[in-house]
Amino acid sequence: MQLVIDGLLTGGLYAATALGLSLVFGTLRMVNLAHGELLMVGAYLTSVLVVALGADPLILAIPAAIVLGALAYPLQRYVLTPIMARNADAPVTATFGVSVAVQSVLLLLFTSNPRSLPAPYATASFEVLGVTVRVALLIATAIGVVLVIGLHLLLTRTPFGNRVRAAAGDAVAAGLVGIDVNRTFAMVFAIAAAAAAIGGSLIAVTYSVSPSGGTSWLVIAFTVVVIGGLGSIRGTLAGALILGVVQTVGVAVVGAQYRDIIVFGLLVVILLIRPRGLFTKAQRV
Amino acid sequence: MTNSLDSTPKTARAVDGSGPARRRSIAPAARYLIPLVLGVAAILLADALGRSIANQGTELLLLALLALSWNVIGGYGGLFSLGHQVFVGVGGYALIVILSYTDLPLPVVLIAAALLSAVTGMVLGYPMLRLRGPYFAIGTLGVALAVLAWMLNWPFTKASQSYPLPMSDSLGFTELFQLTIVIAVLALVAITALVSSPLGLRLVALRDDEHGAASLGVRRVRTLLPVWAVSGFLAGLVGALFALQQGSLTPASAFSIQFVLDAIVVCVIGGVGTLYGPLLGAVVVFALRQYTADFGEWAMLIEALVVILVVRLAPEGLWGILSRTIRAVRRGRQAGIAPQKEGRS
Repeated sequence: MQLVIDGLLTGGLYAATALGLSLVFGTLRMVNLAHGELLMVGAYLTSVLVVALGADPLILAIPAAIVLGALAYPLQRYVLTPIMARNADAPVTATFGVSVAVQSVLLLLFTSNPRSLPAPYATASFEVLGVTVRVALLIATAIGVVLVIGLHLLLTRTPFGNRVRAAAGDAVAAGLVGIDVNRTFAMVFAIAAAAAAIGGSLIAVTYSVSPSGGTSWLVIAFTVVVIGGLGSIRGTLAGALILGVVQTVGVAVVGAQYRDIIVFGLLVVILLIRPRGLFTKAQRV
Repeated sequence: MTNSLDSTPKTARAVDGSGPARRRSIAPAARYLIPLVLGVAAILLADALGRSIANQGTELLLLALLALSWNVIGGYGGLFSLGHQVFVGVGGYALIVILSYTDLPLPVVLIAAALLSAVTGMVLGYPMLRLRGPYFAIGTLGVALAVLAWMLNWPFTKASQSYPLPMSDSLGFTELFQLTIVIAVLALVAITALVSSPLGLRLVALRDDEHGAASLGVRRVRTLLPVWAVSGFLAGLVGALFALQQGSLTPASAFSIQFVLDAIVVCVIGGVGTLYGPLLGAVVVFALRQYTADFGEWAMLIEALVVILVVRLAPEGLWGILSRTIRAVRRGRQAGIAPQKEGRS
């Protein structure tokens, strides 16, 4: 029981960190190899704000998210979208370049030491019915769920969401009916980056971040998206919870040193059985 | 009048035809001979070079070899691998472990280490090569991270501790440089042959139009697997030579993600999917690193920004720009002659 609760709460954190990747992958059909770095930058931005203003990190994550979104918008609009238009595989190389560039900037600014965000609830925990609950993870899960629901509503219930889904379904046709596809894609990327900033701040509160730490979070986020299914925001939440439980139970069985192997092994196994994801219906290739 | 009308298309055809025809007759021999001649010259020269230059030469060639290896699958195959450090690590560890337990001669051990890396590649590749595009990229990254995590805990290879090369097997800087030259030349010749072989053509066909290639009977995994193994063999050699150069390995050094980052940066800057692009890229990146040696992160940042710029503005890379310029100059010269002829007639 303890394991399942721990797993679900870890999964909630994973949902918050994978949301940006899922959104970009689902609508832009682009895997952002720099997603891990977006998480890290978000955490460092929050950390800078905490040092400057001294308020609670999870409140300061909101301005950090806005800043990161504003930085991400021109990246998509003027660099990535033109590359996407030319060749479906080229953004992989481009976002790889972005990832390396961001990593080296973080190294230059903050050295390679890991850092975490101080918060009064970071290490606190309480007990319910004999189950220990870590407060920071509970908050992370709550925020993750709120983000998932918010994003889902944004995509399905608003005019903006309609434009996004139209552009994602058929960019040319969307352009013909008067949707500014380039601006819509850039907006999606900015929202994804903002979500990543919050996810990254949650990572820094619960664990820690470092300039090179984004890589394994990228793989975790990708695993979540693969389990949950391409382009499904709700699937991302399901995938994150499944991964969290599998990982926590797995660690209890084989030992904590194999924590990473469980995640990456699960990714490989799922890709083998269902290369297009666990819950996706049969798709055109 | 009729005469001039007849002659114009003839000259045009002759001009069009002569370029490729001439290249076809001369280039193949030169493609194999030039690296061989340069290689022999470099080996002879290596004795005269100082130890530190020889060591730098080894580093440059290892960078070039790694990029050549990545380019086979990432450039010609169009599969963006983020897991080549597994090959490097397996090759390096295989060399050190085999040398520690046996007295086999070094060339045999080198080949055995590279073969082991290729076999590892085939075992991992058989499932991985079914994946496409970003799935392949992150799948291989996941495998690489899992292997690194495994190596950090594997008692047989001393887990996270340093695994030393037996003292009796260490090479001098000059010897190692010469050995690396031999391997680099052979690798370049092998890749030149591979690229123009039926297998290489099937590989490119698969990259450019998978459905078209499939309809002509090109099988995906069957085509990719041997190429992937060749790529793994070469990267395994890089790892083995790296182990000889370093004298000891840790999982963090041998399975470092830096290897695949280097390979991709070099290939993209030099020209992905071109024969000499990785070599040119290696020289450029290596030179850049010499100038920015005191601030490593700046070098990395500059390289990454160049990668983004290249992908955005000149996806064919430096080699592509260079050969396009040469072709334009050549065509310009021919164009300069052709109107004169027309004018006369």
